[in-house]
Parts: sequence; structure tokens; C-alpha cells
Amino acid sequence: MRRSYIVLISLISVIFVLAYLTTYMGILGPISSDTRYLAKLFLALTYNPDTSTSLRYLTAMSPEAVTAIVWDYRGIDTFYETTVFFMAIVSALTIYRGITNIESKTQGSGLSIIVRVVTKLLIPMNIAIAVSIAVHGHLTPGGGFQAGAALAVISVLLAVVFSGYSFGKLGMGISKAVALRSMGLLGIATVTLLPLIYGIVAGVQTYLMQNYMKVDSPFTFPIYAWGQLISGTLIWLNLAEFLAVSFGFFVIFMLLSLREETVKKYLGVGDGH
Amino acid sequence: MDTNFLERFLVIFALYNLLATIGVSIYGIVARPHITKKIIALTILGDALNVLAIFLGFKPSSIPPVLLKTDTISEGDIIKFATSAVDPLPQALVLTAIVIGLAVNLFLIFLALQIFRLYGTLDSRKIRELRG
Amino acid sequence: MDITLVLIAIFSLVGFIFTFLAVIEKDLPKAVVFSAIQSAAYAALFYLLRAPDIVLVYLPVSVGLYPAALFFLIGKSERVEE
Repeated sequence: MRRSYIVLISLISVIFVLAYLTTYMGILGPISSDTRYLAKLFLALTYNPDTSTSLRYLTAMSPEAVTAIVWDYRGIDTFYETTVFFMAIVSALTIYRGITNIESKTQGSGLSIIVRVVTKLLIPMNIAIAVSIAVHGHLTPGGGFQAGAALAVISVLLAVVFSGYSFGKLGMGISKAVALRSMGLLGIATVTLLPLIYGIVAGVQTYLMQNYMKVDSPFTFPIYAWGQLISGTLIWLNLAEFLAVSFGFFVIFMLLSLREETVKKYLGVGDGH
Repeated sequence: MDTNFLERFLVIFALYNLLATIGVSIYGIVARPHITKKIIALTILGDALNVLAIFLGFKPSSIPPVLLKTDTISEGDIIKFATSAVDPLPQALVLTAIVIGLAVNLFLIFLALQIFRLYGTLDSRKIRELRG
Repeated sequence: MDITLVLIAIFSLVGFIFTFLAVIEKDLPKAVVFSAIQSAAYAALFYLLRAPDIVLVYLPVSVGLYPAALFFLIGKSERVEE
């Protein structure tokens, strides 16, 4: 063990000396105090309420530049990222094929009463925070991915504090979680295809995942609802992605918290060597 | 030693630390025999690469790419925001990469569990000897 | 001079130290804890690099979900490497 600490200290010294030498020789210049032109374009166009100029064809009407890029400027990119996410969850489910519901027959052993009560108080707060992150994703830092990750923490809390069988008691089976996740994916598909359907019905040119009107396309999602800025597709895509991500992780942690004996009985594999 | 030298040194030191982290985690993936350790090193590799991507969009004395004032916004506000905020594009790419990385790593954890069910060990040297 | 750059250098160093400890540690739960500390340092790094979105997604994922999933894996398989 002592030898590895010596290795660690010598590695840090090597990094320090190399950084000093690089700085001294001036190979790597100072960090740029200016961003690229593309970044400036994104930042200037992300929220631009000026409707008099042609900039209205380019803006995403969201003060949050990251969400605007994720779901508007590079929306198809995120669409395929969601496909990869979908495939990863489906691949994990195929390993656990055959298990559709967790029986709540077995009384699982959770943690002590204090931890249980505190967790019961924490879970509603966690849900409120996650929904708030999702709904305000186009205004403040946040969005579907962040809210989904925040909600997925609940599944870990349930599995660790109340044991894996608490999912069954709450009426949250695997098939139900998969259905909710599919609803999220369906929401993304609907928002993606709506401009196309409108274009076919109204006979005008539209684009897939179109948010606001373009120079050659009049289709536009509502920017404001009841006086609130909702940024067209962004709020709907954030909510749909929130469902897809959070319940995708719910399924995974439900399966992970199952007892090994139950899993082996279902999968019919041997008990090792 | 002037301020400019120190600033450059700190940035290069942080950059080399990230590169060393990537090197150590690749060593962990390649040379450590246990599959759980390989997965831990893989998550660290992904994290370090994400930080490196964000680092490319960073500039000193800047603000986050979130416009806080939306009610009475003028052209000057937008120009000030566009010239002082950091690059939002790497952040948008890393944001999705983290969540997708988690899903893929969870799939790897499921595969590791299945390997343990079938072989009774997670040591890759022993698994190589067993051959089913 | 910007204090941010000093903090960025310190947190990247902390991340490197705990990565090293996580990779050489033989006891796997300890390695997961070291990896979680490295993740916390990187979350601070994301905050210093002006990426609040990434902090929001990275904190639950790397400090909450990864260690939990790895603990499930270790609990169902082996605890010690070699």
C-alpha cells in the first residue's frame, strides 16, 4: 500500500513539473478570453423577442441556451440520443426477460423506523423538485434529463430504505413503469411529427421537429400560454423526456433490487460453481 | 512570476490533471482483472472526458449561458449576454452524454450480474480459464 | 486574478488523486466511495466552469445512482478484488 502512495506522489510531481515546463516554454498559450463565433450566434439568438427583423426565423425563444440547443437547434441529435437510451434500457430488460411483476409476498427487510419516516417525508419533496426542474427547464437551468435523474433517486431510496418489494406495494410494477416510459417516448414522437401532419393537412412546407416559423414555413407552436413563456415545443419535449428518463431508470433499479433467488428462479440459470 | 504566468500555469495544470485522470482510468480498464473495477474505471473515464469537453468552452470571468432577465430586454442586454457567457454547445452535448452514459453503464452492470450468475466469479482471469 | 482558476486546479487535482485511489484499491466498496468523492470534485468543477445544467444532472447521476447501482452489483457478487 505504501508503494502506491509513493507512485501517487511521484505522478502528481511529474504533472506539476510538466505543467510548469509547458507554461515556461509557452507551448500552450493563455486560455482564450473569447468564445467561438458559433457560440455567440447561439447565445444571441436563444432569446430574441424582436419580431421586426428576420431574426424571428432563427430564435428559439428560450432564455436557457442549453435547453434551446438540446431540443431546438440540435433536436434531431437529442432524438437519436434518446434512441440510444431506449436501446440500452431494452437491452437490460432482455437479460431479465420473463420477469414482469414483483410479487409483494415476501416481507422485505428495510432500514430502521427513523430512516423510513425521514424518507417518507423526503420523497414528496423530491418529486416536487423534479417536476419543478422539468417544467422550468426552458427558463432556468434544468430540463427533462436533469429532472429524470432527480426523480430516479427516489427509486434508489425506495429500494434501499424500504427494500425492493416496496415497489409492488406501491402498485408500481415493471410493466407499468415500462408503459409510463413508452408514454414519454410517444410524447417526443408526437411533438416531432405534429409539424409534418400539419404540413400534409394544410398543404404547406414544414420540417420535422420544427419549433417556430421559418422563412419558407408558416407553422409555429405557441410561444406563450396564459401569459407565461413556454417556448413552443421545449416544455412539451422536456416533460416527455422527464417521463422517459425517470421511468427508464425506475425499471432498471426495480430489477436491480430484486433478490438473486427470485431472479434465478425466473431465468432458470444455475447457482454458479 | 507575473499574474499571466500563474493563470496559464493553473489552466495547464488542470488540463494535465484531467489527462492524467484519463490515463489512470484507461489503466484501470485495461490492467485491473476484476469486472466491477473495470466498470468503475469506465465511469471515471467518461466523467473526465465530459469535464474536458466543458473545459473547451470555458473562458475566465464569464457567466453561465442562461439569460436571467426576460421581461424588459433590450438589444444591449442580448449583446452583453452573448459576449460574456460561456459556450453552451459542449454543455448541451455533455448533458445528454451523461444520462446516456449512465444507461449504458447500467446495462454493463446487468451483464456483469449475468456473468456472475453463470460463472460464479467476476475475475476476468478466472472467467477466461472456465470457458463456459 | 480570478480565484476560479485556483479552485479549478485544486478540484481537478482532487479528482485525479481519488481516481488513482479508486483504481488501486482492492476492497471494492471503498473504491466506489473514492469514485463518489471524485464525482463530487467534478461536480464542483462543473459549477466552476459555469455549467449549472450539468451540475443538476451530474450530481444525482454520479453521487447517487452510480454508487447505488455499483453497491447493488457488489452486494450480489464479490466484495474483494483478487
